Formats: sequence, C-alpha cells, structure tokens
Amino acid sequence: MVGSPVLLIAIPLLAAFMIPLLGMIWKELVRIIPGLVLAFMMISSASMLMYVTNNGTIIQTLAGWEAPWGINLVFSPLTAFLATLMTFMGFIVWLYSYRFKRNVDFEPAKKYFIFLMMLVAGAVGIVITGDIFNQFVFIEITGISAYALTAFYTGRNSAEASFKYLLMGALSSSALLIAIAIIYSQLGTLNMADIASKIHLMPAGYKVTALIFFMMGIGIEAEIFPLNGWAPDAYTEAPGPIGAAFAGIVVKAGVYAMVRMVFTLFDVSGAMDILLTIGLITLIVAETAAIRQEKLKRMLAYSSIGQMGLVFVAFGIGTLEGVYAALFLMLNHAIIKPLLFLSGSQLVFNSKEKLIKEVNGLGKYMPFTAVLFALGSFAIVGLPPFAGFWSKLSVLTAAANEGMLLIIALILIVSVIEIVYYFRVVNRIYFFDKAEDLIPQKPRVNAVIAMSVLGAIILIIGFNPDVVSTVLHNASADLMDTPQYIKNVLSAGQSLTN
Amino acid sequence: MENQMFEILRYGIYGGSISLILIGLYAALTKRSLIKIVIGLSIVDGGIHLLLIAIGYVKNGTAPIFSPGFENAVDRMVDPVPQALVLTAIVIGFAVTAVALSLVIRLYRHHHTLEIDEIKNLKW
Amino acid sequence: MIYLIFVIFLGGAALTWLSGKIHPILRDVVFLASLIVPSVLFYMNVEVGQTVSFSLIGYKLSWGINYLGYLFSYIVVGLGVLAGFYAIPAMKGKKNLGFFYSNFVLSIMSMLGILFSRDLISFFIFWEIMTWSSYLMVVFQGKDVQKVGIKYFVFSAIGAYAMLMAIVIIYSLNQSMMISDLVSSFASFDPTMQWLIPILLLVGFGVKSAMMPLHVWASGSYSHAPMAYTSIFSGALSKMGIYGMVIVMVSLVPIIPEGFWLRETIAWLGAITAVGGTLWAVAQDDAKKLLAYSSVAQLGYIIVGVAVGTPLAMLAALFMAVMHGLFKGALFMVTGAVERQTGTSNFTEVTGLIRKMPWTFLAALMSIIALAGIPPLGGFVGKWMLYESLIGSSHYILVIVIFFSSTAAFLYCYKFLFGFFLGQEEKEWAHVKEAPAMMVVPMLLLAFGTFVLGAFPGLILDPINAGMQEMGFASTQGKYWEMSMLFNEWGDQIMLQPILYAIIAVFAFFAIFLTIKGFKKTRYVTTKDISSSGEVPLEHENLTFSVNFFQPFLRTVEPLMKRQIDKYYNEFGRGMEALFDFTRRVYTGNGQTYALYAVIFIVILLMFKNTLFGL
Repeated sequence: MVGSPVLLIAIPLLAAFMIPLLGMIWKELVRIIPGLVLAFMMISSASMLMYVTNNGTIIQTLAGWEAPWGINLVFSPLTAFLATLMTFMGFIVWLYSYRFKRNVDFEPAKKYFIFLMMLVAGAVGIVITGDIFNQFVFIEITGISAYALTAFYTGRNSAEASFKYLLMGALSSSALLIAIAIIYSQLGTLNMADIASKIHLMPAGYKVTALIFFMMGIGIEAEIFPLNGWAPDAYTEAPGPIGAAFAGIVVKAGVYAMVRMVFTLFDVSGAMDILLTIGLITLIVAETAAIRQEKLKRMLAYSSIGQMGLVFVAFGIGTLEGVYAALFLMLNHAIIKPLLFLSGSQLVFNSKEKLIKEVNGLGKYMPFTAVLFALGSFAIVGLPPFAGFWSKLSVLTAAANEGMLLIIALILIVSVIEIVYYFRVVNRIYFFDKAEDLIPQKPRVNAVIAMSVLGAIILIIGFNPDVVSTVLHNASADLMDTPQYIKNVLSAGQSLTN
Repeated sequence: MENQMFEILRYGIYGGSISLILIGLYAALTKRSLIKIVIGLSIVDGGIHLLLIAIGYVKNGTAPIFSPGFENAVDRMVDPVPQALVLTAIVIGFAVTAVALSLVIRLYRHHHTLEIDEIKNLKW
Repeated sequence: MIYLIFVIFLGGAALTWLSGKIHPILRDVVFLASLIVPSVLFYMNVEVGQTVSFSLIGYKLSWGINYLGYLFSYIVVGLGVLAGFYAIPAMKGKKNLGFFYSNFVLSIMSMLGILFSRDLISFFIFWEIMTWSSYLMVVFQGKDVQKVGIKYFVFSAIGAYAMLMAIVIIYSLNQSMMISDLVSSFASFDPTMQWLIPILLLVGFGVKSAMMPLHVWASGSYSHAPMAYTSIFSGALSKMGIYGMVIVMVSLVPIIPEGFWLRETIAWLGAITAVGGTLWAVAQDDAKKLLAYSSVAQLGYIIVGVAVGTPLAMLAALFMAVMHGLFKGALFMVTGAVERQTGTSNFTEVTGLIRKMPWTFLAALMSIIALAGIPPLGGFVGKWMLYESLIGSSHYILVIVIFFSSTAAFLYCYKFLFGFFLGQEEKEWAHVKEAPAMMVVPMLLLAFGTFVLGAFPGLILDPINAGMQEMGFASTQGKYWEMSMLFNEWGDQIMLQPILYAIIAVFAFFAIFLTIKGFKKTRYVTTKDISSSGEVPLEHENLTFSVNFFQPFLRTVEPLMKRQIDKYYNEFGRGMEALFDFTRRVYTGNGQTYALYAVIFIVILLMFKNTLFGL
C-alpha cells in the first residue's frame, strides 16, 4: 500500500499552491509537477484499492478526532474504485494536455494545471470523505476550479458558459447548505455514518425536505434533467481535455454523492423511484437533444448527460444488480466519453466553428485519431465486443429481473437514437470528402499515448469484462450494505491515525 | 415569558433568513443585470449563513471558548460547529463571488453588455 | 480447437488490415489464408456436438456446433471462401482494401460464430459483430452513407435490440443464457411471455431476413455494398435471420397456446414479402437493385416455408435457403463482373455482352434458371416441395399468392438475362473483355452447384434431414424427403433421375443448337441500326430494349406498388427529428432560465413530496 487517503487530497492541494513558486525556478516544472502528483495519486489509490479489496475498508480520522466528532475519510471498495478511476482519468487528462499549442487565446498554462489538480483533488475528496460538510467544501473546490477551467480559453464564449455554470453552482451550494442546516438542526451531527444510524429519529417531513435540497444541490453537479442547462455549454466551451475531465471525473463525483445520499444516508421510500424517473427523463431529453446538434462537442455533451441519466436509471432499479450495472456504466462512461472528447477535440481542432460537418473526410488525414473516435462511438452505443456492451447488458438484465419491461424498451429505443447520431459522425469522418480549407491536425505524442491507453482499456474490458467484475462487485456490495458502513466508520475498525 | 420571547426571536431570525434567501433568489431570477444577479446570489448566501448561525444559538449564549470566568458556561455555550461551518461557507461564498465578478468583467469585455438576455450565444 | 478457429479469424482480420499497409499481395495472401485456414480447421477437426464452455461476468457461455448449424456453415464457409477469391480481382485498385478484407473476415467469423453459439449472449455478440461489419461494408463505397447506411444500421439495431430485450427477459425468467435451457423451460413461462419472447426474437430475425415490413433497408444496402461482399451479404448473411427463425419456429412457437396464429401471420408476411419483392424487382433498371429486391422476394418464400413449419415445408425452406445462397451469390458476382468490365450495372446502358463475356453469361444463365425454378436445376426441387407442402397443409390461398409471385419472377429473371447479355451489341461495349478467371471460376462453381443439387438433391437433403431430426421433428428414422411426391415417384435416395436426364438432354440440345448455329450467317447490329418509316434515330436516344421493359405489366400493378412502406418510415423519421428539434429548445441558452428550472424542480418536489416519497 502506497500513501494514505489523506495524501490523495493533501498532496495535490499543496502542489497546486506550490506551482506558481516552482514555476519561477524552472518553467517546465509547472507541467511536470502535476504529472508526478497525479501519477502518485493514481498509483497510491490503485494500491489502496488492492489493499481494500483484500483487507476491507480503511477509515482514516483526521487530527485525531474520532468518528462522530471529527472528519474522517472512508476508503471503502466503492470509494476506492471511484478514486482510482478519477485519479487515473486525471493522469490521462494531464498526459493529453501536457503540451498544448492552441489556436485561440488562453490563460497561462500554470493556471490550467493548478485548477486541474484542484479539480481532481476536489472530486476525490467528494468521494472519500465521510462528512457531509466536508463534502460540501470539496464540491465547492471542484466547482470553482471547474468554473475557472471552463473559462480557460479567453477568445471564445467560454465566459458565458462558465457564468451559467457558476450561477447554477451557486444555487447548488445554497441548496446543499440548507440541507446541511436541516440535518444538523435535527440530528446534531455531520458525520455520514452517524447520520445514517440516526436518520430514523428524524421526522419524516424534515427528512424528505433535506433529501430534496440535497437532490437539487448535488443534481446540478450530477447533470440530472432540469438542472443540467449549464452542462452542454460548459462541455462545449471548455478545452477538450477538460470536457473529458468533466465527463470522467466531476460528474462521477456528483453521481456518487447523490447515490450515497439516497442509498446510505436517507431511508426514504420512493427515493429510488424518483431517481429512476429523473434518470429516464434525463436520458430521453438529452439523447433526443443530441441528435439535432451541429457542434461535435455539444453532441458529446448531451450524450454524456444522457449516459448519466442511464446511470441513474440503473441505480434507481435499486437492486444489487442494478447498482452493479450502474457502477459498470460509470466505469465505461468514464473511459469511453473522455476518449471521445479527446479524439473529438483533435478532429475539430483546426476548425473555427467546431461543427460536426467539419470532420468530413478526416479519417484519411488523421487515421489514428479517427479510428479511436470510431472505436469510442462503437463502444458507447454498446456494440459488442466493446466495453459499452457489457454495461448495457447488465443494466438490461437488472431491469428485467425486476420486471421493468417498459424501461428496457425505452432504454433500447434511446439507444437506437444514440446509434443514429454517433454513426452520422463516423460516416462523415470516413466517407465524406474533406473541406478544402481545413488543415488536418497531427496529434502530439503525449495525446496519442493518452488516447491509445483509453482505447486499449475499451478493448480489454470488451473482450474480457471479468477484469473489472470483482472490483465492481465489491463496490456495489459496499454501497448496498449500510449497516456495515456505519459499523466500519463508527467503530473505526482499522483506523489509520496520523 | 422570557422563553417565549426567545422563541419568537428565534423564529424571527429564521423568518428573516428565509426572507433574505427569497429576496436573493428573486434578484437572481428576475434581474437582467449580471451584477445584480451576483448580488442576489450573495444575498442568498448571507441568508443561509444567518440560518446556520441561528440553528446553533442557545439562550443567553456565550462564545464556545473556555476562558477565565466562563469555566462553567458549557450549558450556555453556543454550538461551535455551525459557526465553523459558517466561517467556511463565508470564505467559499467570497471565492465564488470573486470568480463570478471576474467572469462578469470578461463577459462585459466580450459582449459589451451586462444584460443576461443578450448573452445567449450558446443554446439548444 | 474451437477457440483456435476464432482466434485465427480475429488475428487474420487484424493481420489483413496491418499487412494492407505493407504490400497488396501480402495482404491478399493473408486475407485468403485467414479465410481458408480456419475453415479447413473447422471441417477437419470440429465435430457436431463438440462444445466448449466458459463463463464471463457470471454468464455461462458455451460454443459448439449442431447439425442445423453445420448445414448453414456450408453456405457461410463455401460462399465466403468463393467470394473471398472473387473479391481479390473484383476489388483491385480500390482504396482502403485492408479495411475491406479485414471486415470481410470479421463478417465470416461472426456468421460462423452465430452458428457456434449455444447460448444467447454469444449469439447476440456475434450477431452484432455481423451487423456492424456488414454495415461498414454497406458504407464502404461512400455512396449515400447517411441515408442507406444509417437506415440499414437503424433497422439492424431495432432488430438486435428487440432480440436483446427478449434475451434479458429470458434471462430474468430462466437465470440461464443457454438456448437449450430456453427450449426446455419455455413451456413453463406464463402466456404473455410466451407470446412476447418469440415475437421480439422474430422481429430481430425478420430484419436480417428482410421480412416485410422490416425489409426497407435491403434494396439500398445490397446494392451499395461492393458486389464481392453482397454475394455473401444476400447469400449467407440473410440466412442467419432464417437460421434464427427456424429455431424460434420449431422450438418455441409450437409450445405457445394458439401459437398457430403467429405461424400464419409470419407465413403471410413472408408471402407478401415475396410478392412485393418480386414486383419491385421487375420495376428496376439496375441489376443490383433488381437482385436486391429479388433477394427480398426469395427470402419471402423461405420465410413462408419456415413459418408453415410442417416437415416438408421446413425441408423445402432449408433447401431453398441453400439454393438461394448458391444462385444469388453467383448472380451478384455476375453483376459485379459486368460492372467491373463495363463500369455500370444498368440494363439500359449495357446490352449484348454474350459474345464478350460468355462464361459469365453461362453462370448467369444457370443461376437464373435455378432462381426461376425451372426444372433441370436445383431451384425447381425447392419450389416443388414448397408448393406441395403448402397444398398438403391446406394453405391454398398462400399457394396462389406464392405461385403468382414466382410466375412474376420470370419477368425479372428474363430482364436480367436479356438486359446484360442479349440484344444488340452497342459499339460502346466493343472493347469489353471477359472477367478474370479468378472471378469467373467462383461464380461458375456456384452455378454448377445449383446443377449438382438439382440432379442430386440428396447431397444436401441429408444434412438438412440430420438438422431437422435434431430439432425434434417427428423422429422417424427415415428420410423426410420421402414425403414428397417428387422423390416417391421419380427418384431414389439421392438422385432425381428424370431431372438428371433432362439436364443431359438440355445440354445435348444446346450443343447441337450451337453447332448448327455456327454454320449460319449472323449479322450483329447495334440499337441504332434501324430505320422505321425512314426515321433515323438520334445519337443520344436510348433505344436499348431494357428501357421501359415491362411497362404494360408495371402499369397494371402500379396501384399495388404505390404504397411504399419506405415513405412512411422516412416521414416518421423526419417527424421525430422535428419533434426533437422542438424539445431541445428547453435549453434556451439563458442562464436565468436554467436557474428558474432548478427552482421549479425543487418547488415541485417540495409540493408533491407527500405523494412522491410516500409519506
């Protein structure tokens, strides 16, 4: 085991604030240090994931305060899985954007890397913390760095996207604070496990109100339907790798926070159905909006929202299988959608409007990028033998076991829509004639490596989904087992104090 | 009687903070100027901070600090946790407002207007 | 060994692609090797009943081949290898051939994989690989990709997802993905599911076998894919739909209470498909389109046979499936050869190639005779058995419909033969040469196959028999084809003696005819070589016979053909897109509106919290 959970948060935050100083010594350090930090985080959380898989949950108390009073970090199979996924994606995003030459104006590179590290640290923090107020703080850290990253390019409409994101984010933080206030006024505690063990003491009206405020607060990060107006804009206007980071890291943290609330903290009947309904509406609205898009990244953004809707549908099924399917979907989406964003932003790199029709015929000129984009498209619509198929299959079997035939039919109809718009793009890439004035972009080596790693993972999971099934099984069992979670945290079984 | 007054005061503070939240929300939702929207958001924040503080308040409360002369004041100490929360939330709110205002400046440079209706380049 | 076959296929596909970047000849060699080596391994080493099992994320999967699969593997592998040889000269000089060939290998692999699948998951996986590899072939030439390609993929996806829905329902009821478990426990499902599952599966298979009203993708896709691939696309790939349909019709439908109606419906859909396909084929001026619609029509006959499902009908259907693979494969190859040599496949442009491309003509002639079901060649045996089985099971109206369609089929058969090969010789085509031997030999082999199966139908009826016995048709030890009058009266176990004699007689007649003809003086003329009432035709006038070939007939059937299902689908698609364009306007672009949505969201939840959360 390398490192400890708290280092996953402390080191990137420390490094983020050190970067401007280190940059004065040698400019290249601005780019290298984040890579080292993210690599350390990735290795550390992967090794802890292995440790957790074998030995059970790690509970780390901070500053010596025991569970109900102090803040603690919970590194359980679920959170370890998500943290590993996020740090890995963070590393990939860093690798992709190690050097960027852009044809638009942008802020200094050091800001990019500072905020990238804060983004990853915040997202990891959301997942591994065991305290709702601490989670709120991490949501804000993630949010602020996300606003800043969205507005990274100064030349485009990025400020507009960022402002919309900020407006929604501010509402989200208000809602979260209200929810926290309600819970604290009723239960006098902020520790998640403690809340979960005492939630039955809370009057139903307060409980549901708190849950609703939580749903709104986190729903904005998790891109559920009426709250996701900011998302397409932010995805479109943010730099390509940041779009990948949103899809692979930020949204995943939001979804985690949401399901942690619904599954562990609140024992409210009907919350599952709400998740399911919201998920379905999100899925349908987003996918139908995606089919009519003219900009590539905007299409990918709507598709990403739709996939999150599907994740919520899977969680909303509420069985162990459903949770397993949802986590599998999250994993696949966290691999595939970043690949699409990365390769897609390469494809439209030199075009001004970033329109879909500007990728015409690029398959010949950018063969590698185009193949990876096609691979991602095949995988995300769930064609076997690529990764997306297995997650879609597990969602459908989970739904079928609960007899939800209508939902299966809806998911499949939406999948047909998904096929239409992805394959329209793939067709354009390969079978149309290139526009005369468009200069194909040759991807840099680091971008090629980053994209091919993702592509390789899609193939590996596609041909042998068993490589991830153990981790996913542990994680889904972990989410479903609330008593065990409470016991782990409150008795601090294997606590690592520091 | 005194208790009653205290309860009335408490609910008054609750009501006040909730009305602050609503006022802020009203501003954020209906005002067309970006600056006013940001101000509205800040008012919402302020209202919530007040709400949090009100939750932690006890009658005749003192600061939750053990100092000479207050050794036996544990019963009267206000709950320190909401105060810590509010301090954190104020800092966060400050940061968000700062980012928001800097974005407003950027938007103004780009669009030469502060009307949110006219900043709709990204849609559908 | 079974794994090895698929590993070689997969590796072969990858290597073909990579070697395409090194040298074309290396690529061709690798391509052929990756088709032939696994095929040989398959026939040498894999026996019926041999299975391998493994498990993947909790599903138990199993691969192995049964007799029915073995029968279909003849079509897949035989046609695949021949088309592979054909493809090399046919595709010469095109771009992206590494991609084409590796897709070709993937296609063959996936079809064989479908036949090998003993569980629904592998079945679906191979089915989808087949779908996207064939899709990539349809769009390969880059024509109309957004229309034809997407239409093919959307229909395939609808079919595949209907199938997937059936699969997950089956899994939820059975907790097992094995096809054998499905068959054994199907009787214990409740009636709704007993209806739902076969219907969903039939939608899936119906798409691939181009059953009305799911056929609209077929004409475009068949004619847009390179002909070298269309020969297996129509010849073998569509048979996968038939294969699945056979399983459903034989194993599941008889168990359904009142399942009789499902049979009748499918049989009628098949008959309508046959009539519609035939009429549309007659109206085409392009050989590819003609053959595409003809494929639809022929698959309609097969569907009728499968759906009626008496032993004789099933025998007829399977026999026709094999025959269709042979002659339709050959005909698409002929079209490809003509197109390669002349640059067009339109009847109104190409005429009189008989002297230029005699061997191609021979292949076309034999295949057309087989297609039309004229006695000497194999098509006749299949049609005879189909009529006999339909009459035997009292489907009299169905027989009339089928008979009408198969008579009308003569029209397009004639048009195909006449359009390309007969008629006056145009100067424009004077330079045309016979296609390379590597193209001619595969099609002649296929055409010859129809001849062999016409004279010795027992050769293929034997495997069909084995397949049917395995499916659990009344398990007599005898041969099913003894039920047919054809064999009772005129033939013995393998051979149809009169037909053999007839074939010999026909060939003798041809030989004599050609010898006599050789002595006669023949004057070859062009279409412009006429003078009617002193009017000399203008240079640009198209006077080939194929212009408005069957105008009177088409005028008669016009009302039937007016209602194109295709139009409704297109309108539906456009309507949906317009609707989506409207709904996406909820994203107004105004940040305040989004904030308002959030407030409305929370207000609604708070207002209805009692009902929503069940307080």
